[in-house]
Amino acid sequence: MLRDLSTRYGGWLLMILITAATGLFLDDYALTVAASTLIYAILGLGINVVVGYAGLLDLGFAAFYAIGAYVSGLLILKLQWDFWLTLPAAIAAAAVAGVVIGYPTLRLRSDYLAIVTLGFGEIIRITVINLEVTGGPNGLTGIPPVSIGGNEIVTPQDFFYLVLVFFVVVLAVTGLLARTRLAFAWRAIKDDDRAAEAIGVPTRRAKLLAYVIGAAVGAVSGPLSGAQLGTVDPSNFTFLTSLFVLLVVIIGGMGSRPGVMVGAVIVVALPEALRSAGDYRGLAFALLLIFIVIIRPQGLWPARRRPLRVPAETTPSEDVEQMRAGRLDVDELSRSFGGVTAVRDFHLTLDAGEVVSVIGPNGAGKTTAFNCVTGVIEPSRGTITLNGNSLRGLAPHRVAAAGLTRTFQNIRLFDDMTVAENVLVGRFAHNRTMFRPPSHADLDTVRRALDFVGLADAADRGASELSYGDRRRLEIARALAGEPRVILLDEPAAGANPTEKHELMRLIGRIRALGIAVALIEHDVSLVMSVSDRVIVLEYGQTIAVGEPAEIQRDPRVIAAYLGMPEDPEPDLVAEVVR
Amino acid sequence: MSDFFQYLVNGLTIGAFLSLIALGYSMVYGVVRLINFAHGDIFMIGAFAGFTVLTTIGVTGGMAIPAVLAAVVVGSLATGVVGAGIARVVYTPLLKARQLSLFIAAIGVSLALSEGVKLLTGARFKSYPDALDGGQIMAGSVRVSYAQLVLVVFSVVLMAVLWLFVTRTVTGTAMRALAMDRDAARLQGINVERLILMTFLIGSVLAGAAGVMYGLYYTQISFGMGFLIGLRAFTAAVLGGIGNLPGTMAAGVLIGLIQSFAAGYISSRWTDVIIFGVLIAVLAFRPSGLFGERVVERA
Amino acid sequence: MRHVSRALAAICIGLLITPLAACGSDSGGSGESGAIKIGVPVPLTGDSASAGQDILAAARVAADEVNAAGGVNGRKIEIIEADDACSAQQGAQAAQKLLNSGAVAIAGGYCSGAAVPALPIYGRRSVPFVLDASTNPVLTDTGDGKVFRTCGRDDKQGLFAAKFMTDQLKAKRVAVLHDNTTYAKGLAEAAANSIKQAGAAEVVYLDALQPGQSDYTPVLTKIASTTPDVAYYTGYFAEAGLLLKQRAQLGLKFPLVGGDATTDATVLKTAGTAADGYIATTAPLPKDLPTASSFVTSYKSKTGADPGPFSVYEYDAVKVLAKAIGDAKSTDGAEVTKALHAIKDFAGVTGKISFDQKGDREGLLYITVTVKNGEFTGYKKLDDAGTQWVDVKPA
Repeated sequence: MLRDLSTRYGGWLLMILITAATGLFLDDYALTVAASTLIYAILGLGINVVVGYAGLLDLGFAAFYAIGAYVSGLLILKLQWDFWLTLPAAIAAAAVAGVVIGYPTLRLRSDYLAIVTLGFGEIIRITVINLEVTGGPNGLTGIPPVSIGGNEIVTPQDFFYLVLVFFVVVLAVTGLLARTRLAFAWRAIKDDDRAAEAIGVPTRRAKLLAYVIGAAVGAVSGPLSGAQLGTVDPSNFTFLTSLFVLLVVIIGGMGSRPGVMVGAVIVVALPEALRSAGDYRGLAFALLLIFIVIIRPQGLWPARRRPLRVPAETTPSEDVEQMRAGRLDVDELSRSFGGVTAVRDFHLTLDAGEVVSVIGPNGAGKTTAFNCVTGVIEPSRGTITLNGNSLRGLAPHRVAAAGLTRTFQNIRLFDDMTVAENVLVGRFAHNRTMFRPPSHADLDTVRRALDFVGLADAADRGASELSYGDRRRLEIARALAGEPRVILLDEPAAGANPTEKHELMRLIGRIRALGIAVALIEHDVSLVMSVSDRVIVLEYGQTIAVGEPAEIQRDPRVIAAYLGMPEDPEPDLVAEVVR
Repeated sequence: MSDFFQYLVNGLTIGAFLSLIALGYSMVYGVVRLINFAHGDIFMIGAFAGFTVLTTIGVTGGMAIPAVLAAVVVGSLATGVVGAGIARVVYTPLLKARQLSLFIAAIGVSLALSEGVKLLTGARFKSYPDALDGGQIMAGSVRVSYAQLVLVVFSVVLMAVLWLFVTRTVTGTAMRALAMDRDAARLQGINVERLILMTFLIGSVLAGAAGVMYGLYYTQISFGMGFLIGLRAFTAAVLGGIGNLPGTMAAGVLIGLIQSFAAGYISSRWTDVIIFGVLIAVLAFRPSGLFGERVVERA
Repeated sequence: MRHVSRALAAICIGLLITPLAACGSDSGGSGESGAIKIGVPVPLTGDSASAGQDILAAARVAADEVNAAGGVNGRKIEIIEADDACSAQQGAQAAQKLLNSGAVAIAGGYCSGAAVPALPIYGRRSVPFVLDASTNPVLTDTGDGKVFRTCGRDDKQGLFAAKFMTDQLKAKRVAVLHDNTTYAKGLAEAAANSIKQAGAAEVVYLDALQPGQSDYTPVLTKIASTTPDVAYYTGYFAEAGLLLKQRAQLGLKFPLVGGDATTDATVLKTAGTAADGYIATTAPLPKDLPTASSFVTSYKSKTGADPGPFSVYEYDAVKVLAKAIGDAKSTDGAEVTKALHAIKDFAGVTGKISFDQKGDREGLLYITVTVKNGEFTGYKKLDDAGTQWVDVKPA
C-alpha cells in the first residue's frame, strides 16, 4: 500500500519538497517572482479545468481573477473582514460569475465561445474601472497583509510559503477532480460533445460545471495577488492577462497539471530572466509561441493519464438486463426540413429481445428517423414512447438515460481516450453521478462490455489505434455499457468484410439474447434478412413495406425500389444536413 | 436632432472601417474555420506600408493625389502578400491540427507582428502627411467631410467588388464550395491549399486598404493600433454571423453606430460594455449571429 | 517512472528560477564600502518604455556629475535600474530586485500604478523613495513621510488649471474629459472639484473617452452639445492630437486645454495646423527653465537626444538624494529620510527644492504652454505670490 502510494504521489511530493527547499535559498526578488509564478500556476490550474479538461476555449479568464481579487479586497477594506473569511466569498462570487458566463454559451458553437468569454472579461474589467466603489482606475489600495494567528505574512519568503500551501491545496483538489467521472465526461465532450450527449452524458450540466469549478479555482489567485501587492490594480486584469493565463496551459500541455507548472514558469519567470533581452523580449516570446504550436502542439509536458483499472475478472453477471427490458413505440413520426418531408408517418414497434431493421436507399430518411427518436432533432409530429413513457422532446442524454442508446453511421468515438475509457463514458446513460471516481460497478460493466464484443485485450489502447471493424464494435460496447433497454445500430456493417459481417451477425444475436431490443439501419440485405424479426422499408421518407424478412423479399414494390437496385453511391443528403 | 444626424454620420464612418476589416475575419473563418486573431495587426501592417509609400514619395505639390493612390494600391497589395505569406508559413502546416492550435498560432502571429513593427519603427506614434484635408458639405448643422464621403464610397466599392468576385467568378464559387465542405471541394478538383492562400490574400488586401485609409483619415498610427479595432471588427464578424459576408458588413456598420451613439447618449466609457453586451445577448438568442444561417457543426 | 519525471520537472523549474536568484543578488553587498547604489525603477518595456529610458538616462547624467565632483562621503554613486513595466505586479518585483542589489535609496518611477505596491516594500526597509514623475496624490499621502517627489501633484495641477481657465480664459462653463487612467482621472477630478469649490464656473461635462479608439467625433459632438466655454483634456498626447484635429473637422469653436501629458511633439504632427493656439498646463519643461540649460547640454552630449519631460525632475531627484546622503553622512535609510526632510531650498535645475511634511515638493509652480509656430512655447504663469498672471519668459 505504502509502495503504491509512493509510486503514485511520490513525484508530486518530491516536486513540492524541492520547490519548498528552493525557497530557503532564493533571495527576496526571486521569491517574489516565484510567488507570482505560483499565483499564475493557480490561475493555470483553474483555466486548465475549462480549456484543458472540457475543451471550452476561454479568452476572458482574467475576469475570475479580478472577481476574486475585488471581492476579497472590498470585503477587507469596506467591511473589515479577515482575509480568510473573504476567501470563500471570493470563490463563491467567481462561481456565480461562472454560471453567468457559462449559461448563455452552452448552445454556442465552440469557436464562438472565444469572443463571448473575451467580451465577458472586458465587461468585468471596464465595469470595475468605471465604478466608484471599486476605486475606478486606481483600484483598491491599502490591503493589509495576510495574518495567521496574529503573525503578519510580510516577508517575500513567508509569502512564498503561503502561496505554496495554497498551490498544493489547489493541486490536490484538481487532482481529485481529474479522477472523477466528471473528468471523463469532460474529456468526451472535448472530443465530440454531440456524441457524448447522444450516449448519455449531460453535456450542458458538465460544461456549466467546468465553468463554475474553473472559475472557483482561478478565483483563489485573486485574494493572494491582493495580499502580495497590497493593491488590486485593474490593469492587472486585461485581455493580455487572459491570454497569458491561456498560454500557461497551451505551452504546458492541455489537461496536464505538471504542464501547468512548467507553463507558469515559462510565462512568468522566463520573461523575467529574459529582461536583459529588453526590446526583443516581446518578439522572442511571440516566436517561441508559434514555434511551440507548430513543433509541439500537445505542449511541453503533455497530459499522460493513468490507464483505467479495469478488473481482470468480472463478477458473475446478474440478469439486470431482464429487469430493464423495454418496449419502444414510435407512431406517426414525421419530420420535414423546409418544404421537404424527410420522414412521413414512420411507425415502429420494438419489444424486448426483438430485432427490427430499417432499410431503404440513401436519402430514404432512415437516419432522420433515428435522430428523431433519440432526441437529436425534434420531430415535426408523432409520438415516441419507451415502456409507455414519452421520449419526445427530451434532450438526447435523457433519451439515453431512459434506456435507449445508439451507435453512429460515421463512427463517433472519443479518439483521445482509451478503449476502456470510451466504454466508461457510455455508463453515463445508466448513472450520471459526477463527483466520484468510476465505481466498482462502472469498471465491472466496462469489463463485461469489452468482453462481450471481444475487445478486452485492447482496453488500454487508444480508440484511434483500433481497426475499422474494432471501432464499430467499440461503439457497440459503449452503447451497451449504459445497460440500455433498446439499442439503435446505424449501419454497423458498413465497410465490413464478410468475416466481420458474420461476427457482427452473431453479436447482434447475442445482444438480442440479453433481452435488449435492437433497431438496425443497414444496407446489407443478407445480414438484415438473417438477423431481423421484422423489416421496415423506407423510400423518400415513406414506409413502403413492413413485415417479416421473407415477406419483404417477395414484395414487388420493395424489389423495385431497393432490393433490385445496385447500391447508390451518392451521399445521403438529408443525413448529411442532419449531422 | 442635428446631434443625432452627426452621430449617425460619425458612426457610419467608423462602421466603414470596421466592415472592411471584419470581412477578412469572416472570409478566413468561412474557409479555414480559423478566427484569425492576427487580422487586426494585418490592418496595422497596411497602415505602415502606406505610410512608407507616402513618406517616400512625399505629398507636396501636385504629388498628393498620385501619392495617395500609390499608397492605397501598394500598401494594400503589400499587406496582402504579408497576409498570404504568414498563412503559408504558419497556418498551412497547422491545417490538420486542432482548431485551438491554429488559434494560438494566430495569437502568436499577432504579437509577433506588433512587436516586430515596434522594433523596426520604434514605439512612437507615426503621423501620416495630411493629404486628405479638404472641404466639407453642410446639411443643416450636420457636417460631412469630403474625406468621409471618399472613405465610405471607397469601402462600399471594395465590398461590392468582393461580393461580385465571390458570387460571379469561378474562384469565388470555389471559395464558397470550400467553405461548405473542404473534403468535397478537394474531390471536385479544387486546389484547396492555393485557394486558402487566396482567401488570406484577399482578406489581407482589404485590411491593408482599410489600414492605409485609416492612416490618411486619422493621420496617427502606431504598432498597437490593430488591437482595439481588430477586436471590434472580430465582434462585428461574429455578430453578423461569421462566414456570412453581407451579414458581416451590416454588423460592422452596426457596431460603428453603437460606438457613436453610445458615446453620444450614454458614455464613451461604457462603449465596450454595450458592444459586448449586445453580442452576448444576440448570441444567447441566435447562436449563429444576427444573419448567420443555422449551421450545424459537422462531425 | 512517473515520479522520476516529475522530479526532473522540479529540477528544471529550479534551474529556471536559479538564474533569477543569481542575477538578482550578484551585487548583494550594500555595506559601508564600495559605490552607493541608487535604484531607478522605470518602465523599460511596454508602451511607456521610451519615457523610462529618458528618466534613466537623466539619472546617469546626475550620477556622473556627482562622481566627477568627488562623489558622496568619498564614495561613488552607482545607478542601478529595474524595469517596472508600468504594472503593479512588475512594480513589486522591481522593488525587490533593487533592494536585493543593494539600493540604499530610490529615485525614479513613472506610472503611479507600479509605484503603489512598491511603497510598502521600500517602507519596510525604511528606504527613501524620491519620485520624479508619479504625480498621484495617494503616493505621498500614504507614504509615511518616506516618499518624496521633485514633481508636482495632480491635485495642485488641477487647481492651477481651474484657476487658469476661469481667470484667464474667463470660462463660465467648463467641460472636463479624461481617459479613465489613474493619472488622467485624478487630474480631471481635481480640476472639476477646484472649479466647483471656487464657484466661478460650472462643470458642464465630466466623463472619459476610451483611448486607442482614434475616432473621438462622437465624444466631441457630445461635449459640443453642452456648449462649454472651454474643454480640459487630462489624458495623454496621442488622443490630444486626434481631439484637436477632429475638433477642427467638426468646426467646433471652444478652446481645448490639455494636461501635462499632452506636451508631446506627436500632438503637433497629428493635428498639424489644428494645433495652433492649443494650451496645456504643465510643470515647467526643460527649455522653459533657465537653470536647466547646462543639464540639457550635457544630456544631449551623453545621449544624443533631447531630454524627456521628466528628465529634469529625475536629475534633481538623484541630486537631492546625493545631497541628503552627504548631509546624513550615512546610507542608513532613516538617516537619509531625516536629511531629506531637513533640506531647504536646494538649488535644483527645476528650481528650489524643499519638501513638506508629507514629502511633497514645496512651492513648485505650474505654467501653461501654447503652440506657436508649430512648437510648444511658454505662455502664462502665476507670479511667485500666486496672484497675478504673468508671461512665461523663454529661457
